Amino acid sequence: MEPNDRLSLDAWANPSSSCNGLPRKMSLENPSFTNFNLQQQEQKWDDTSILNYGIRIEPPFLEFNQASESEYLLSSTCNNQPKVLDQEDGLNNEALQTSKSLDWDPRTMLNNLSFLEQKIHHLQDLVHLIVGRKGQALGGHDQLVTQQQQLITADLTSIIVQLISTAGSLLPSVKHKLSTGPPNGQLGEFLFPPLAGMNCVPQPQHGSGSKAVQPLQHGSGSKAVQPQCVTGSKVSDQCNQMDVTGSFGTEQNLSIEEHEMKEEEDADEGENLPPGSYDILQLEKEEILAPHTHFCTICGKGFKRDANLRMHMRGHGDEYKTPAALAKPNKESSLEPVIIKRYSCPFAGCKRNKDHKKFQPLKTILCVKNHYKRTHCDKSYICSRCNTKKFSVMADLKTHEKHCGKDKWLCSCGTTFSRKDKLFGHIALFQGHTPAIPLEETKGPSLSCDKMDGNEASNKSGNINFSFGSNAGGGAQNIIEVKEDADDPASYFSPLSFDTCNFGGFHEFPRPTFDDSESSFSFLEAP
Amino acid sequence: MSTQSTPILSVLTEDLLIRVNEKLVQDSDRKIWRLICKEFHRVDSITRKTLRVLHVEFLLTLLKNYTNLHTLDLSVCPCIEDGTITLLLHRVDHSMWARNLKFLNLSRANGLKFSGLEMLVGACKGLESVDVSYCCGFGDREAAAISGCGGLKELRMDKCLGVSDVGLAKIVVGCGRLERLSLKWCMEISYLGVELLCKKCLELKFLDVSYLKVTSDWLRSIAALSKLEDLAMVGCSLVNDVGLQFLENGCPLLQKIDVSRCDCVSSSGLTALIRGHNGLLQIDAGHAISEFSGNFVECMQELKNLNAIIIDGARVSDTIFQTISSNCKSLIEIGLSKCTGGHQYGNYAADSCRNLLRLKLESCNMVTEKSLGHLGLHCALLEELDLTDCFGVNDRGLERLSRCSKLLCLKLGLCTNISDTGLFYIASNCSQLHELDLYRCTGIGDDGLAALSSGCKKLRKLNLSYCFEVTDKGMKSLGYLEELSDLELRALDKITGAGLAALVTRCKRLAYLDLKYCERVDDTGFWALAYYSRNLRQINLSYCSITDMALCMLMGNLTRLQDADLVQLTNVTVQGI
Repeated sequence: MEPNDRLSLDAWANPSSSCNGLPRKMSLENPSFTNFNLQQQEQKWDDTSILNYGIRIEPPFLEFNQASESEYLLSSTCNNQPKVLDQEDGLNNEALQTSKSLDWDPRTMLNNLSFLEQKIHHLQDLVHLIVGRKGQALGGHDQLVTQQQQLITADLTSIIVQLISTAGSLLPSVKHKLSTGPPNGQLGEFLFPPLAGMNCVPQPQHGSGSKAVQPLQHGSGSKAVQPQCVTGSKVSDQCNQMDVTGSFGTEQNLSIEEHEMKEEEDADEGENLPPGSYDILQLEKEEILAPHTHFCTICGKGFKRDANLRMHMRGHGDEYKTPAALAKPNKESSLEPVIIKRYSCPFAGCKRNKDHKKFQPLKTILCVKNHYKRTHCDKSYICSRCNTKKFSVMADLKTHEKHCGKDKWLCSCGTTFSRKDKLFGHIALFQGHTPAIPLEETKGPSLSCDKMDGNEASNKSGNINFSFGSNAGGGAQNIIEVKEDADDPASYFSPLSFDTCNFGGFHEFPRPTFDDSESSFSFLEAP
Repeated sequence: MSTQSTPILSVLTEDLLIRVNEKLVQDSDRKIWRLICKEFHRVDSITRKTLRVLHVEFLLTLLKNYTNLHTLDLSVCPCIEDGTITLLLHRVDHSMWARNLKFLNLSRANGLKFSGLEMLVGACKGLESVDVSYCCGFGDREAAAISGCGGLKELRMDKCLGVSDVGLAKIVVGCGRLERLSLKWCMEISYLGVELLCKKCLELKFLDVSYLKVTSDWLRSIAALSKLEDLAMVGCSLVNDVGLQFLENGCPLLQKIDVSRCDCVSSSGLTALIRGHNGLLQIDAGHAISEFSGNFVECMQELKNLNAIIIDGARVSDTIFQTISSNCKSLIEIGLSKCTGGHQYGNYAADSCRNLLRLKLESCNMVTEKSLGHLGLHCALLEELDLTDCFGVNDRGLERLSRCSKLLCLKLGLCTNISDTGLFYIASNCSQLHELDLYRCTGIGDDGLAALSSGCKKLRKLNLSYCFEVTDKGMKSLGYLEELSDLELRALDKITGAGLAALVTRCKRLAYLDLKYCERVDDTGFWALAYYSRNLRQINLSYCSITDMALCMLMGNLTRLQDADLVQLTNVTVQGI
């Protein structure tokens, strides 16, 4: 198997030389994998540039390489960490250990393995074919070349997926719904080891990108149904996974932009690593969503952190208590020049996906997890206080709950803010928006109108007895009017409503009638 | 009173009468006009634009009579409230009086809440200016009501303690064409509100942010106001030179700047400000700057149009002041109160600034009769002169000063060297005088007051506190000053109830009276006070020998009283209170 892989790697390392058309029947021979292929195409259809196209084809291919390399790596580090096993060894080993515990069926395992073997053989043939035609002219159909490439990459991907899922089915804590997920943390990591230089080299293409892509799309329509049936009968796991990834492309396009803002928090925007200076790792969806990524190979208990697992392992025997066993794995690799790792979101079309035009990598696995949950998953955590805010990351909910109910700054448009400066920034931005004043006390004019006082009413008689001087006629009328008013209007003009001086009895003090000529308008002043 | 028989009315048509009426400026003249006959009164009520209501009882009638009002001043009717407004709008045909109203003064109307304001604003569509100063109950809700005036150009909210940034934001958004805004003492206003103001109200010409927590950030925002002409920030202790440097490059039309009592401002900050604005007309830096650098003086020379400079409390040498005054020829106001370091401010001011209107020389010990002579000789237009605590002022000096016949306001407090003779010169020449401060001028007696009452008929404000020589006779002569509204008689222990009675029977306009320590005034005086002084708004009776009965009468009768100081009344029992 290894030499084959090597061979294929070599073959694809300089694809321009091997671009002679692959017979179309070849692709028909492997109908089960075109499905995957097509779905990938659909997701990335909007990319038309050659560069993007080149990158697009690579991911599955890379994964394959990674997988094969990881095996080497794994076996080389076997001495230090006996528990970290080669994939196939691991399968057997674990199969023995967990055979009694859960519904693991050795026969399906065998089926799967034999299927894998078959597939690898297929691939082998294919690559042989390509190698055989390597030296021939480049004049072949571009479509065929690309199709052929994708076929192989799809094949490889599916093999890897298959392997992972087979391995995953061994673990007791992983339920059926996650059966395709890679439950073994080490496995997941080893799947994506550094692979410098490969990821961003655009593959030389003949003709424009759009040309190259189009025929594939046509093909997708016709073949989309067929392969599912085939694979479905053979390997249900694989089929499941494909369906899921396929549906993502259509369902969650909308949610991407919505979450773009939030996710910036996780990303280091200032970081401007030139493309190619770092390695891009892409975890699969199941891997990201798995509650635990580190599992005890003895009892099967899952852990979120590797360190916790190592702490746990101490309980299984003295051999796990040695400093070497407790040490952080891959420590020695740090002696070599550190290769920067960055992560890509598996969701196609996402800005964090390495195929995106403006790809921005995620810094850590935690970032990947948070990003994926926030952006591409349902928000299942609902704030119990406000019952409106929903979150997909528990930590976000907790952060929100700390501040929930404190949004006291309200705009007339209904938007609430927890901070005054945010509200004022909002108001400055929008025409006509004003801060809303909370209705704490509602005091209508009618209320104050109605609160009539007997005391004031009695005072009234004292007040309106002023004569109106030269304006006598009008004045007299006023008095009458005022007296007739049922509402006692004069009480509003009652001078005695002055609080501190309301000496009710003293308005009977003899008042001078105003002297007409002098004082009738003494209450007027010039401007 | 009969119109037909008067020949003059057959000649004068209504429009002629209106024209004549427009020529009347003085309040008293208009009053006489009103009282001539019904026709004249009618003309007056048609043409009258301004109404200042003293008694809220008459508001209803008055608003019925005067339908063309532009200005309504209710500042001395503090008991106005929401119900009053409802009534005014429903009983009186509101389209009549509210229609044309442009300027509304609601200062101190504490009873007015948002519902009343809302109605008012709804009725007065054309409102351009509203004054709600000193309305303690004025908060964000009320501000929201005011913000309904889309066309508002001027708003004064001095000491509206309840207004916060939210209220300001309401107004800013609602009244985008605001040109003049005073936020003095609105302590809740913070940077956020002002920042928003500076973003939204770009028409702003006048802004008063005195006594607020103004920082450099505020000034950076304010500097963006391209039409700002007048900026007042009195007592902003956080403003420093850095902030003023923001103004150097902003506010291109700035004409007036007031940084008085801003402790952290130095002459270098002010220099920067001046450098950026050659068109400055007024600088008020009183009690802010203590020393002047050479740079500052150089910059000052560039300000050819400067009208007013107030540098109270600074150390100004004669040469510096001479440079300033000789370069800024158009100065009409100079404030040098409590300035030290110079001897001949008066001389220089008088010699170079011929158009001087206002001069403040408080506590300038070097003011002599010679300086006053210069003033009298050269500054014929002088209207306001503050010589408080200048002990160099004597009778001869006043004689020379009395050539300034246009004097309106003269402050001679603590000038212990003046006597009745000096006052006589003033009284005989300065007939326009309406404010005179004689605080602790112990040389003043009844004769001086007699001269005053015959010469200065327009006197409105008079301070006679601690002029111990004044007796009942002086009080009686003061009674001839009919316009008198503010009178301080503190510690005049020679006056009695009879004197007070003689005064109040004639001075009907008295609004503020200070009788503290007038221990010999007895109940007869207070009875008279209660009977006659209907317009009294503020009274200080502390340490007086008033009894329960008289106090009750005073409080019951003085219906417009807003503020009464009643400390240490020995003859008043608990029952009286």
